[in-house]
Amino acid sequence: MPPAAGDPFARRAPSGQIGRRSLLKVMLAAGAAPALADLLAACSSSGSPGAAGSAAPKIPSPTNPVRWPLSTKHPAIKAGLKPRRGSTLKVYNYADYLGPQVIKSFEKEYGVTVNVSTFNDEDEALTKIASGGLDLDLYFPSYDSIGKLVGADLVRPLNHDYITNIEHVWPQFHDPWYDQGWRYTVPYTVYTTGIGWRADMIKDDIGAMSNPYDAFWNAEYAGNLAVLDDWHTLMSMVLLRNGIDNINSTKQSDINLIHDQLMKMLKVTHPKVTITMYNDLPAGQYGLAQMWSGDVVNAQYYLPKGTSPEVLRYWFPEDGKGEVDNDLMVVLAQGSNPVAAHFFINYMLDPKVASKNFGYIGYQPPQNSINPDELVADGYLPKSLRSATVLPHYFDVGYRLLQLPPAADQAWHQVWQEFKAGA
Amino acid sequence: MPDTTARAGRRLLWPMLALPGTVWLVVLFVAPVYVVLAVLFGGVDPILRQPVPVWNPVHWDVSQFDYVLEHIVGTDGFFGPALVRTAVYVLVASVLCLLVAYPVAYYTARFAGRYRGLLLTLLIAPFWISYMMRMLAWINLLQNDGLVNQVISLGGLLPAHVNWLNGQPVTVVLGLVYGYVPYMVLPLFAGLDRIPAAVQEAARDLGAGRVETFRRVTWPMSRQAVVVSLLVTTLPMLGDYYTNDMLSSSPQTSMVGNLINNSVLTPGQTGQAGAFVMLVLLVSVLPMLLYVRASRTGEEVES
Repeated sequence: MPPAAGDPFARRAPSGQIGRRSLLKVMLAAGAAPALADLLAACSSSGSPGAAGSAAPKIPSPTNPVRWPLSTKHPAIKAGLKPRRGSTLKVYNYADYLGPQVIKSFEKEYGVTVNVSTFNDEDEALTKIASGGLDLDLYFPSYDSIGKLVGADLVRPLNHDYITNIEHVWPQFHDPWYDQGWRYTVPYTVYTTGIGWRADMIKDDIGAMSNPYDAFWNAEYAGNLAVLDDWHTLMSMVLLRNGIDNINSTKQSDINLIHDQLMKMLKVTHPKVTITMYNDLPAGQYGLAQMWSGDVVNAQYYLPKGTSPEVLRYWFPEDGKGEVDNDLMVVLAQGSNPVAAHFFINYMLDPKVASKNFGYIGYQPPQNSINPDELVADGYLPKSLRSATVLPHYFDVGYRLLQLPPAADQAWHQVWQEFKAGA
Repeated sequence: MPDTTARAGRRLLWPMLALPGTVWLVVLFVAPVYVVLAVLFGGVDPILRQPVPVWNPVHWDVSQFDYVLEHIVGTDGFFGPALVRTAVYVLVASVLCLLVAYPVAYYTARFAGRYRGLLLTLLIAPFWISYMMRMLAWINLLQNDGLVNQVISLGGLLPAHVNWLNGQPVTVVLGLVYGYVPYMVLPLFAGLDRIPAAVQEAARDLGAGRVETFRRVTWPMSRQAVVVSLLVTTLPMLGDYYTNDMLSSSPQTSMVGNLINNSVLTPGQTGQAGAFVMLVLLVSVLPMLLYVRASRTGEEVES
């Protein structure tokens, strides 16, 4: 074949000599550049800032309920479909946040294989979901990321025909402020954020102290404690410690306060920063931890043989004026199995399944059939962990983590970055 | 005529053989580095604050890079301690690795005799178990009631309970040493094995003692292998974050690998991860180039 005009090999070919350097150059010019251009095109079409970002992002809060627009690019699925047998449902979730027996019985009932991938925190999850290529069907976010998920068009609206079990859920979640008309979300679990400790390792009764949060700055417990590896949750604890109720503050003075006290915490008590308290506390790696109520409940199953669950203690303000949250289930637009995702959601809201799942993960589902006053009697909680019960009225008086406006979000994250870099 | 075509064919042969490797290098090194640069000097989308890479160097924005540089030293230099910590940990761990690996490799190469094969196999054995599994095993051993504390306290007789897993720099350094020592033994063994026994015998014949022989013959001849093995272990240590995550997970032992990992996973900060990657690359490539230059001039002087 005669060399085409402009063929970079043409001039060199007769001599038969291709220097290493020129070969490199040629390949860069001929091969890599178009590939990079393709990459560029692909990236800019998916992550283009102009597409949906022109409007200021809506930030839902209890006083500012939001009804999200229905996605036009990713419409809800049609009614009456059945999940294809032999298909795969890709679930994206925290580790140990879904009962394996529950997954197994779903697989058996619908002939669908469930693959669970895990993440450590919401930031990581959003980063990976936004990267696109993972083809995930179902995601378990907190309500504070729903604005970003809808804004970036990453979620698919739900078809309510499939989710008849919503009737078993606490009424306040039938029209939640973060997603009016539950167009995209159904609630998965409810939990509080408080302090867990082991009575056999910590001599003081943390819950009886005048300000229990002070424990994390108490040098006596240095090296014997852990805090949550979750920026907003840990940083808002600093505000609560100082009696500031607005845990979504955008005030620079509040952010500075968080900064100073977190850096002080590093120096005084050098905490572990992790989310594996449910495993570490029972293993005796430390005696005190900022914890989610569900994790302290779960911790009883990780205790070594011979250790009574009664050593586990949990404090959350009795009046409910602490951090209360709920996690959600959403169908991701990128997934290829939205029908199975709908069936899975409905399945998880079934009272029997929800109770069984609760028994494994320790996180309470907001189900009418589960009586919060009888969790101890029903064997879900040991007596010493009665305080880990999540009561419906907490959601009226407790504080909620909200999505922050971009500038504040950046300021908070900057403090977090500094904290995580160590001092 | 057939002769010349054959020669031309031979001349083409080697570049052709080099082609797959070159393509491999371009695809797996140059392209990713360019992507890192495009992210580092790129933008951030306003909703999810995910990085938007900018491919055209003309539009590159250096603000993320500046941000990182500004926060390394000075009053606001909160990245500084982590970088210094990385240097110290990696240096100490590398020296310890060498202290452990050199005698082992030396013995295997020179004195193992018929157990050589077995010893080598055993030295490679840790490669068969994933790094993650080996670290998880250490978590078990180092727990408060784990085997290590039981041994130290002589089964509970002494009140010597060390909280190994709560952010101890010692634990992290030992984790690094344990994790990377096998990678050092092999190149060292290969280098020491190549030193002809005759040279060492000659030194002894000429009146050098054991120490003198080692100092003036064995060590200089193995220096190249030492440098290679140091590079092989030090470079991955510089990017290591999971040893830290698993054995400490305290910010007080964060290394540059953790800074990279944290920034990558934090919306709006991905570009900064790129800045750290570039810094690590510079810091690790420079000594390598210097070494290559130094060894080349050395050879020229010798010959």
